[in-house]
Amino acid sequence: MNTRDQILTAIRAARERRTPVEHPGRFGGWRPVEPPPPLEGFEAMFTQAGGEVVHVSGTVERDDWLRTFLAEFQHLSMGAGVPPGIADLGPTRINPGDEHAADVGVSMARGAIAETGSLMMDARDGRRAQLLPPVLVVLVDRSTVHATVADAFESARGDLSAAIGLHSGPSKSADIGQVMVKGVHGPGRVIAVLA
Amino acid sequence: MTGSSPEYRPGAYREAAAHSLRETPMVRDSVGSATRTFDSLRAHAYADVESDRWRDWARDVKGHALTHLDQYLEQAERSLVRNGVHVHWAATAEDVHRVIAKVVETHGVRTVVKSKSMLSEELDVNAHLESLGVRPVETDLGEYIIQLLDEPPSHIVGPAIHRSLDDCRVLFHERLGTPLDSEPDELAAAARAALREDFLSADLGISGGNFLAADTGTVALIENEGNIRLTTSVPRVHVALVGIEKVVPRFEDLAGLLQLTARAATGQPIGLFVSLIQGPRTGDEVDGPEEVHVVLVDNGRTTLFEDDVAWEALRCVRCGACLNICPVYRQTGGHAYGWTYSGPIGAIISPGLLGLDRALPLPHASSLCGACTDVCPVRIPIPELLIHWRERTVDEGRNSTAERLGMKAYAGLAERPGAFSAAASALRWTPWRAAGRALPVLSGWVQERDAPSPSPRSFRDLWREGIE
Ligand code: SF4
Repeated sequence: MNTRDQILTAIRAARERRTPVEHPGRFGGWRPVEPPPPLEGFEAMFTQAGGEVVHVSGTVERDDWLRTFLAEFQHLSMGAGVPPGIADLGPTRINPGDEHAADVGVSMARGAIAETGSLMMDARDGRRAQLLPPVLVVLVDRSTVHATVADAFESARGDLSAAIGLHSGPSKSADIGQVMVKGVHGPGRVIAVLA
Repeated sequence: MTGSSPEYRPGAYREAAAHSLRETPMVRDSVGSATRTFDSLRAHAYADVESDRWRDWARDVKGHALTHLDQYLEQAERSLVRNGVHVHWAATAEDVHRVIAKVVETHGVRTVVKSKSMLSEELDVNAHLESLGVRPVETDLGEYIIQLLDEPPSHIVGPAIHRSLDDCRVLFHERLGTPLDSEPDELAAAARAALREDFLSADLGISGGNFLAADTGTVALIENEGNIRLTTSVPRVHVALVGIEKVVPRFEDLAGLLQLTARAATGQPIGLFVSLIQGPRTGDEVDGPEEVHVVLVDNGRTTLFEDDVAWEALRCVRCGACLNICPVYRQTGGHAYGWTYSGPIGAIISPGLLGLDRALPLPHASSLCGACTDVCPVRIPIPELLIHWRERTVDEGRNSTAERLGMKAYAGLAERPGAFSAAASALRWTPWRAAGRALPVLSGWVQERDAPSPSPRSFRDLWREGIE
């Protein structure tokens, strides 16, 4: 018998003595108080974890904001889903593969989640661009903000890429003497731009 | 453990606990402060939601998965293979080592970046990599610190909580050349710079796995630093070590499990980074590993599953909440337990994973106060399991005569809750040294301490009122 079958056989033998437990069904996110509407909820949770939120009314206002914000940076990495025109808004665009040399990144979220204040980052947009720059701007379409993690996962399950990352604020650690520090490995500053 | 420290093995628990209290009182300060912080954050995070319902739900999802474990493992295997993942089954640490050796050989791996994984610690993966001539680099800041110190983790969530800021200042000064008066953010920046080079040059990333969704073949990982996302995204090969008990039925189940685990562990609504990994990079993706391996690891888990009482411990999501609230763990930190898993969870799974002989006396390293079970997100009846292992110890004649008599009486009382709580109250008023004899495992460290004045109310009562 190979290892796989040995393990499964041992489990089956023991399982005969276990009373089956029923699956309890969908996770309900039960809370004592009614949560706020998704956009407000997202902003409250994301900023509580140290993230920043910017609201823009459309692409013109978004690009104006980006032009001003990006002016202080030199090297930009861009996710594959980010509108190409953004490359002309300021810093020099670095080549894919060189994201570690960027001092700012712009990525496109596939969605967001109010319940936990999370951005849903998709591998198709580029994982290095989401992780290596010290400052990350994430573009979010406000129609993709889900109320709960369960809602977001139900809508995502039919279209899963190799990896989905939930980013719920800047990178942090309290491993050094229990003092909280930001930007340990991932971006230390994350700005969600909701359009 | 340094200098004349007792050996690092469960059997040396008494000596190690006594040694820790006598020789390294600052460990108690660091551990006490970190665990109190973790626990108070957890208490607030539980209060924000209907945590009793969340915990019932999580207990049943994990219970359902375990009582159908063979089916969900087979389904997970099919899903992973469909996603292009190489699936391996490992009965022992040696099986895991063989899988890693093959990947190392095939890809000419020289450096491995690793994200914090207690399973990797359990399997001694770093020593194995070194024996292959490969450099393992721990990238979680806490794991990085203890790797530089050549120490095992002392807590399953905060592996370096036994180390103070000053310890880290000295260590980073010696190893990374930072000034001795550096602030924590300067130390973190130095570590980030050193580790960034390793992320970019490593050929292989090794991670654990918090959950494995059977229907989509998703390996889910929780963290706060971003190092797990980097470990699983930047190198061209990723190996995930996943215990067989980590499988859950559905992708949607992760919605509750990810949130509850974070609330129990650190009081956060969710880890700052969650990775949901389906497989290797696909044609329309610009980066990510070209090859992903998932190793389904038994290493004693089926033995634990075969135990008609202790199998419930397999629901554990490794949140560390039971360590944070445990009055015994708080005294010594994790090293005294002599193995990867310390505190209450260590005391109940070690006998299954290592065998009762090797795990003794860990099931006795508890006052059975029950605080652990009150906080456990998957409602593992930890005191019952401790008593179960104690009874098996007695039944199998493995303990000394004095302990045998003491434990028989103690276990008998504990089986009758009324009598047990009466006896526990009585014990609170017993002189400490006598209590040490009544609770055999405590005698090791009671001998090293002055008798504290008895508290008029039990730890459990105080904790309930939030005064602890
Ligand atoms: S036994 Fe419960 S409280 Fe302890 S680590 Fe496991 S899940 Fe957390």
